[in-house]
Amino acid sequence: MSMPAPRIAAFRHEALLYVGWQEFIAATVPFIRDGVKAGEPVLVVESEEKIEMLRVALGAEAGEVLFADMAQVGANPARIIPAWREFVARHAAPGRRMRGIGEPIWKERSSDELVECQRHESLLNVAFGGGEPWWLLCPYDVQKLDEAVITEAKRSHEFVTDRGTARRSDAFRGLEASGAPFDVQLPQPENAASRLVFSAADLDSVRALVAQEARTAGLKASRAAELVIAVNEVATNSIRHGGGRGTLRIWNDDSALVCEIRDHGRFDKPLADRERPSTDSASPRGLWLANHLCDLVQIRTLAVGTVVRLRMNRLPSSHLRVVPNRH
Amino acid sequence: MGRGISIDDLVDAFMGGTVYADKQLVVTRTSAPIGLRFSGEIDINNREAVATSVSAIAAGDVDVHLDVSSLIFCDISGIRAFVEAAENREKGRLMLHGLPELLQTVMRVTGWADLPNLHVCDCRTDSI
Repeated sequence: MSMPAPRIAAFRHEALLYVGWQEFIAATVPFIRDGVKAGEPVLVVESEEKIEMLRVALGAEAGEVLFADMAQVGANPARIIPAWREFVARHAAPGRRMRGIGEPIWKERSSDELVECQRHESLLNVAFGGGEPWWLLCPYDVQKLDEAVITEAKRSHEFVTDRGTARRSDAFRGLEASGAPFDVQLPQPENAASRLVFSAADLDSVRALVAQEARTAGLKASRAAELVIAVNEVATNSIRHGGGRGTLRIWNDDSALVCEIRDHGRFDKPLADRERPSTDSASPRGLWLANHLCDLVQIRTLAVGTVVRLRMNRLPSSHLRVVPNRH
Repeated sequence: MGRGISIDDLVDAFMGGTVYADKQLVVTRTSAPIGLRFSGEIDINNREAVATSVSAIAAGDVDVHLDVSSLIFCDISGIRAFVEAAENREKGRLMLHGLPELLQTVMRVTGWADLPNLHVCDCRTDSI
């Protein structure tokens, strides 16, 4: 199989639809090799299992490639763009192109994670569109993923490679719509929620309620303390930018303790939660921190205001790993 | 941590005293070393008071020691108050003693780990 190798002049975001290991390897190995041959820095963010396979397939050339475990980098998908930004910033130079492979979506992702991964794929266009010339290939396992996931991949990627042929995607939603306010509906809580309407004077009650619910849910003390910090920051945002008050709800779903903050503010900077704080001390830090402390952060911009859900997984397998099957 | 009353505590009690108190935070002056002790919780409700207390004690150019080992909670605005007080100093460092591990993580994640004038002391508080 041969892939046409365009000389890219800007960011190229391409979905790779593959069926089975052979197709995955047949597409990714030449992609990596072409990059290495051209002297381009290459970063591959994949499962441990695929990294192992690629190392074997690449042989000595694997030494020229950077690898990172997607289960760690992207457990919370909002941490992936900062990782790519770091890669691009570190290697960018006049006239230099770069390559990446990133597979943020796999079958075992929970439905909540999947939605955030899909948002992440769209936000990549906003983060890098028109910027440094690097080529990001995002493999999608057609055999294992639902058709709706593949359909969405065609909307979030300007290019799609299917059965060895790369095409511009007719369904691509475009740069502007990629960063449009995100209002995909969140699931209703299945269980009764604790509720607290707060303003500035009630922040201590907000923290006390989160701490108590975290204890009841059986979160480790350290994770409970992290959740308290994250909720306090989001509640503080409601007080400062969301009309001076907000509503906190806390409940448990199958896997996580969920803390939701609603206010009347408008979250309209789509990358605000994944912008690394600048050295300026006034630079915002709350949502960035929440993404680093929590397993998942779900932000929705609705006509009536902003909803932020912070999730802490109750199970010890909080950082989901795809365990390779050795037999 | 069963720590008896030391000479330093007695000196602090008589020479120092409370510089700020509200329902969730008490700030007391310490004399050996020169600095402040924070007990309780810092959030946007009292960060101004924290900033004022720190800038008052940091007006000179000697190292100033902040004992934060009894800080139960501190939000980003509270850490920002310490960071800005340190940045505003021309000479002399701001030393944070007994900073809880989680707050050290917060400072690292938010890009406040390596500031020239703000030193996070590894020492145990009772040996400063």
